Amino acid sequence: MNKTYDYIVVGAGISGAVVAYELAKRKAGSILILDKDFPTAGATGSCAAGIRAQFGTEFNVSLMKISLEKFENLHEELDYPKELIGLHQGGYLVLAYSEEEMENLRRNVRVQHKIGINTEILTPEEVHYRWPMLRLDGVVGATYHARDGHADPFYTTFAYIEAAKRLGAELRKYTPVLKLLTEGEKVVGVETPDGPIYGGNIVVAAGTWSTKLLKDIGVDIPLWAEKHEILITEPLARFLDPMVISFSKDFYAQQRPHGGFIMGVSPDDPEHWFDPKDYNIQSSWHFLKKMASTILEVMPFLKDVHIVRQWAGFYDMTTDHHHIVGPIDAYDGLWILAGGSGHGFMFGPSVGMILAQWIVGEELAYDITKLNWKRFDEGKLVIEPAVVG
Amino acid sequence: MKRIENHPILTFKRGKKIKFYFEGKEMWGYEGDTIASALVANGVKVFRESLKLHRPRGFYCAIGNCSSCLMTVDGVPNVRTCITPLKEGMRVERIKGKGALHYEN
Repeated sequence: MNKTYDYIVVGAGISGAVVAYELAKRKAGSILILDKDFPTAGATGSCAAGIRAQFGTEFNVSLMKISLEKFENLHEELDYPKELIGLHQGGYLVLAYSEEEMENLRRNVRVQHKIGINTEILTPEEVHYRWPMLRLDGVVGATYHARDGHADPFYTTFAYIEAAKRLGAELRKYTPVLKLLTEGEKVVGVETPDGPIYGGNIVVAAGTWSTKLLKDIGVDIPLWAEKHEILITEPLARFLDPMVISFSKDFYAQQRPHGGFIMGVSPDDPEHWFDPKDYNIQSSWHFLKKMASTILEVMPFLKDVHIVRQWAGFYDMTTDHHHIVGPIDAYDGLWILAGGSGHGFMFGPSVGMILAQWIVGEELAYDITKLNWKRFDEGKLVIEPAVVG
Repeated sequence: MKRIENHPILTFKRGKKIKFYFEGKEMWGYEGDTIASALVANGVKVFRESLKLHRPRGFYCAIGNCSSCLMTVDGVPNVRTCITPLKEGMRVERIKGKGALHYEN
């Protein structure tokens, strides 16, 4: 006989882990986290782990400011070894390849300064002085924010889950939710291979798998899986501190603490799917070729470096590239946190916390109610200019 | 030299002699050697050290998989010496810690 819970969180990626912890911290009630595999088995575990506040709208910069503050104090708040969470604030260096692109970056920086994110605007000469290893052919300028960086997506998620467990939450791995159970206009639990588990509130934080779960109970959300590939090289001595990205060339690359260079470039026409049965997560030579030719223009020092691993992951994309957060009011007790669109890890700590505040009826640290699921039908999309991919 | 000179079944055809340098020291191998086989023939057993505990690492898988033989060759770090042919005048060095990159810009 399965126990009944106050909250069932579906999905143990960064989003589910943060919501579960923040609910437990608020003594919201009994909490069960379910994952069809194990924590970080989906998009969180395949992500590049970047964290940046260099966005172009007040909304995203404000949320990322909260996330940065969270990341900076996470080891204390979650009582977890700092070296495992692995926050490294080497900054993000955003390169501009045209005057128009640079003007957009300058506009973003004006927004960032207003929120208290102290991004610098650099000339190519200044970039060359600080990072002489980069080749800057065609670069007209750049922006750099020193507090941006990366953290370990695995340990960060584990830290949240361990902290949630200490506060009484339970985790069940390898327990797929086959169907959300409803009675009339209310969710009452989830069906699993071990039988039904009942709960009055369900938070769907299942990334790209959220769409199918909701569709099966008649809720349509514009959220799909988009395949993005990534690779990492053999470890080398520490050499390059910032994450280097370009919006126009659609790439990112950084050196991980152990020395390997991790990098990605967006496909011209990414494969995408709504139904998990169609997913194809195989690596392709097309990516390898595009990645190598793109990165060698900026980082020619990588030419003799061996690649040790290549893999793919699914961005949980939405129409306007923002999360879907909040109550799905077609059913009482049904909540969603998914659709990070390639930024789920970095936004996780802020958006997950704010959703927990929303659920328990607290004042929100920042108003994210416009990320509700109805915005697509109402034509109220949330637009962000600064995205890779 | 630690080469098998006489073998009951196999015969060895050696190419011409090649000079190379290990840690600045002059050594000799033959055309057809890999860097690693030439090093072993010259009595070099330690190719690198393990990253965490700094234990000696030497000739091991011999097929370019295990990273036990990674060395710096002519300034390029992490060369798999067991599958890289020896060439005249090569400068082979042990990597201190992780291989260091160089740039010319």
